[in-house]
Amino acid sequence: MSEATIPTINFRERAIELLPEGASFEACLTCGLCSSGCPASGLANMDPRKFIRMAMLGMDEELSTTPWVWLCTQCKRCQHVCPMNIDISQLVFYARGNWPDEKKPSGIVRSCQLARSTDSTSAMGLPPQDFVFVVEDVLGEVREQQPAFAELQAPMDKEGAYFFVNQNSREPMSEPDEMVPLWKIFHLVGADWTYSSTGWAAENFCMFSGDEAAWYEVVKKRVDAVNKLGCAVWLNTECGHSYYTMWHGIQRFGLEANFRLENLVSCYARWIREGKLPVNADWNRDGIRFTVQDPCQIIRKAYGDALAEDMRFVVRKLVGDENFIDMQPNRSANYCCGGGGGFLQAGMTDQRRLYGRRKFDQIQATGAAYVLTPCHNCHSQMEDIGHHYGGNYRVIHFWTLICLSLGILGENERTYLGPDLAGIGL
Amino acid sequence: MIREERQFTVDLAVIGSGLAGFAASIFAINRGIRTAQIGNTGAVAYTTGYLDLFGRLAADQLLDDPWRGLRQLAASQPQHPLARVTEAEVRAAFDEFVAFLTEAGVPYGQAGERNVMALTPAGTIKPTLCVPSTMQGGVDALAARARCLIVDFRGLRGFSARQVVANLRQEWPQLRAEQLVFPGMEHGELYPEVMARSLEVPACREELAARIRDVLGDADVVGLPAILGMHHPHLVMAEMERLIGRPLFEIPTMPPAVPGIRLREMFEQVFPTRGLTLIPQQKVDAVRFADEAVRLSLADSYGPIAISAQTVILATGRFLSGGLLASFDGISEPLIGLPVTQPPSREGWFREQYMDKEGHPVHTAGIVTDADFRPLSAEGGPYDRRLFAAGLILAHQDWIRGRCGAGIALASAFRAVDAVGRELARSGGQSGKHQSAEGRRDV
Ligand SMILES: Cc1cc2nc3c(=O)[nH]c(=O)nc-3n(C[C@H](O)[C@H](O)[C@H](O)COP(=O)(O)OP(=O)(O)OC[C@H]3O[C@@H](n4cnc5c(N)ncnc54)[C@H](O)[C@@H]3O)c2cc1C
Ligand code: SF4
Ligand code: SF4
Ligand code: SF4
Repeated sequence: MSEATIPTINFRERAIELLPEGASFEACLTCGLCSSGCPASGLANMDPRKFIRMAMLGMDEELSTTPWVWLCTQCKRCQHVCPMNIDISQLVFYARGNWPDEKKPSGIVRSCQLARSTDSTSAMGLPPQDFVFVVEDVLGEVREQQPAFAELQAPMDKEGAYFFVNQNSREPMSEPDEMVPLWKIFHLVGADWTYSSTGWAAENFCMFSGDEAAWYEVVKKRVDAVNKLGCAVWLNTECGHSYYTMWHGIQRFGLEANFRLENLVSCYARWIREGKLPVNADWNRDGIRFTVQDPCQIIRKAYGDALAEDMRFVVRKLVGDENFIDMQPNRSANYCCGGGGGFLQAGMTDQRRLYGRRKFDQIQATGAAYVLTPCHNCHSQMEDIGHHYGGNYRVIHFWTLICLSLGILGENERTYLGPDLAGIGL
Repeated sequence: MIREERQFTVDLAVIGSGLAGFAASIFAINRGIRTAQIGNTGAVAYTTGYLDLFGRLAADQLLDDPWRGLRQLAASQPQHPLARVTEAEVRAAFDEFVAFLTEAGVPYGQAGERNVMALTPAGTIKPTLCVPSTMQGGVDALAARARCLIVDFRGLRGFSARQVVANLRQEWPQLRAEQLVFPGMEHGELYPEVMARSLEVPACREELAARIRDVLGDADVVGLPAILGMHHPHLVMAEMERLIGRPLFEIPTMPPAVPGIRLREMFEQVFPTRGLTLIPQQKVDAVRFADEAVRLSLADSYGPIAISAQTVILATGRFLSGGLLASFDGISEPLIGLPVTQPPSREGWFREQYMDKEGHPVHTAGIVTDADFRPLSAEGGPYDRRLFAAGLILAHQDWIRGRCGAGIALASAFRAVDAVGRELARSGGQSGKHQSAEGRRDV
């Protein structure tokens, strides 16, 4: 253990600074709706209402040092259900930043350091040249082995492309074949897109470490990369916090970004509506049931229900209306899976699973065999709690199911499918 | 960054998401009026689930027949919002509201000729008009003084079976209390919301049913705190009844309680499917009465939103919800700046005795309207033809003393929506399309 100590924050003062007028802690009615709806309630003997009450009572030392700030995923569900619209996640962010680096969960700190260690901004530290190599390598293989895709493209640093597409490091690092379905989708709809050799990575754990300067640095590098290529749209891959850290970061730091931000899910929906992605549910003859997980980073915390509706439109088209079942609660009221806020990287496995128990119950109540989600963190967490609590569902990406439905999913692109789907369309 | 402003064009904008706002939206969509509703959760979140029409005429006069009470009210307090609507309108409002809830998955019993006597979280009894069907069993068991077991759970605050039994023993001798441990929640503080969601999982239902069967004894009926599922509670209840082999009923708990969350989540899910533009959890920042439309501006976490409406219903509630604002200089209406009728000075807000039987003048402060619930300007005419008010923001009522919160909300929303319909027909504003027009603009 290091000798570093955690400085004490004056939470009341900070709250006045950070919270908008009318949503200050003084407005709290102590009704408890926040705690009632927070999956982190009870962990480390803390809950959001208690946090606010302790702040009001000036119990700053306890709050400055409570490990609970690492168990709250900053999902903002408490704010969503609060009649007074009080947001404690900003104070949690602030409290995290106040911990000396040596005391913070090392996994989060390390992921942030790695993101800053190369121009890729990859939290796994994958350097630009390696990313370029993996993309070329995989592309070559597909062109060779899948005759229908002999002309497949994965453009790199293409100036003036319409879409600048980011990429979660997990694929190039450890499961490169998982990049291919998305390339195929772009190919099919004729999208004008490019990867970038710099600022290409999606994930950004610097925000979760509470390190504002590092968060800025990573977002800045990404914004610069998009501006440099002159793309019209930064298209966010199936990843939740990557969007939020970029979108919120650009506003927070007042960065000059000459482009719009979009999410893949809305593009999928648009392309399906326009007939460019002629997906259907004919493959689902056995009536396999699907549910979706609304990632809070893009639904509740950013777009709101409009994107949630797009997501449901896509799923219903893909699996058939009658085979789709919503989790309860859902959309903006959904629970965080418990993998967010850096929880998956933080090493506090028991608590992360306790938090995830609610998600597990939600999934079990649907009886679905598959959960679709456009977020890598949600994906990993739901898989983990499924194994831990003995669930028998699987978690998959949208791109997998889209290509499956279109009959263009390659043999190596089926990692997440169960035996019931593994053979379809081969 | 290039950002978009989202623009909505509607016939009616409902400001406020309390019972009055929700009721107004229901009445509007049922009449094919293109509607947007904006507002964060108000007092609905704290509701017991009971819909009171009128429970008390004077301090010590609980009402068995609310309809007769309304007729008396019309004579004694003609300015009271409930005295300004017809009995037929009140009945129609309750029927339509309750039918909507029932169809949307939170079933309620119909409004009858008499108030029913329902159990409160503390184990007292209050008169109300409509109860959720999961709570009807409690009304019946109480009326029949049935052999009844009340169950509570270790770690659950805000509901004590022993307290309920202690309060009711005198008049209900065959009442018994038991405490159980809720499956999977052996430690720490329990929240009814979490228990309710857990009971949506079949395995949890089976385990809890087994624990209840163990303590059933000779009980003919079992009362539980309101935890029987969040969505389609009647289905969860039916399944539990099958497993236990006895009829069940729910008793409301102290906030944060399930009945309010049920209503809120149901509205948030169902309204958009009925073509209503719902912008939850946000407040309208400004309202501007332009010639061609009323313009509302607000922002959500994603960015700015502009709503252009032909008519507006203001249902922003009282002090707690922000519809009225109390300050040193008096009481104001902060959004539009409407005149608020109130005691001439702060000294007149409260009578000396906190429990004074006459109530406190501050509670009857509020917005004065014409017969169609159009707020009046200082000069006495309608503030704007297109503006209406509904719910507890209205003046000349003391809903706590009268036990008439839902009654005022539903009845005033009903009349106001009717008047909105007439106003739209007059101005030719209604386009007949149910979906609101939506646009985007880069800003
Ligand atoms: C603790 C408690 C328990 C109650 N229990 C019962 C009960 O058991 N039975 C019963 O019949 N009644 C009950 N009531 C009363 C009942 O809740 C009200 O009658 C009902 O909610 C109608 O009130 P309303 O809609 O006019 O106002 P409110 O419910 O107060 O709602 C006002 C709404 O306006 C919103 N708002 C305010 N300003 C703005 C703005 N600028 N922009 C957008 N939105 C805005 C608020 O956020 C809120 O959503 C209870 C009330 C309370 C406080
Ligand atoms: S929900 Fe809001 S008002 Fe209620 S206790 Fe939590 S912070 Fe306070
Ligand atoms: S942000 Fe999420 S995890 Fe944190 S206190 Fe609020 S609801 Fe709980
Ligand atoms: S992991 Fe998913 S659910 Fe959890 S915070 Fe991130 S986006 Fe939200």
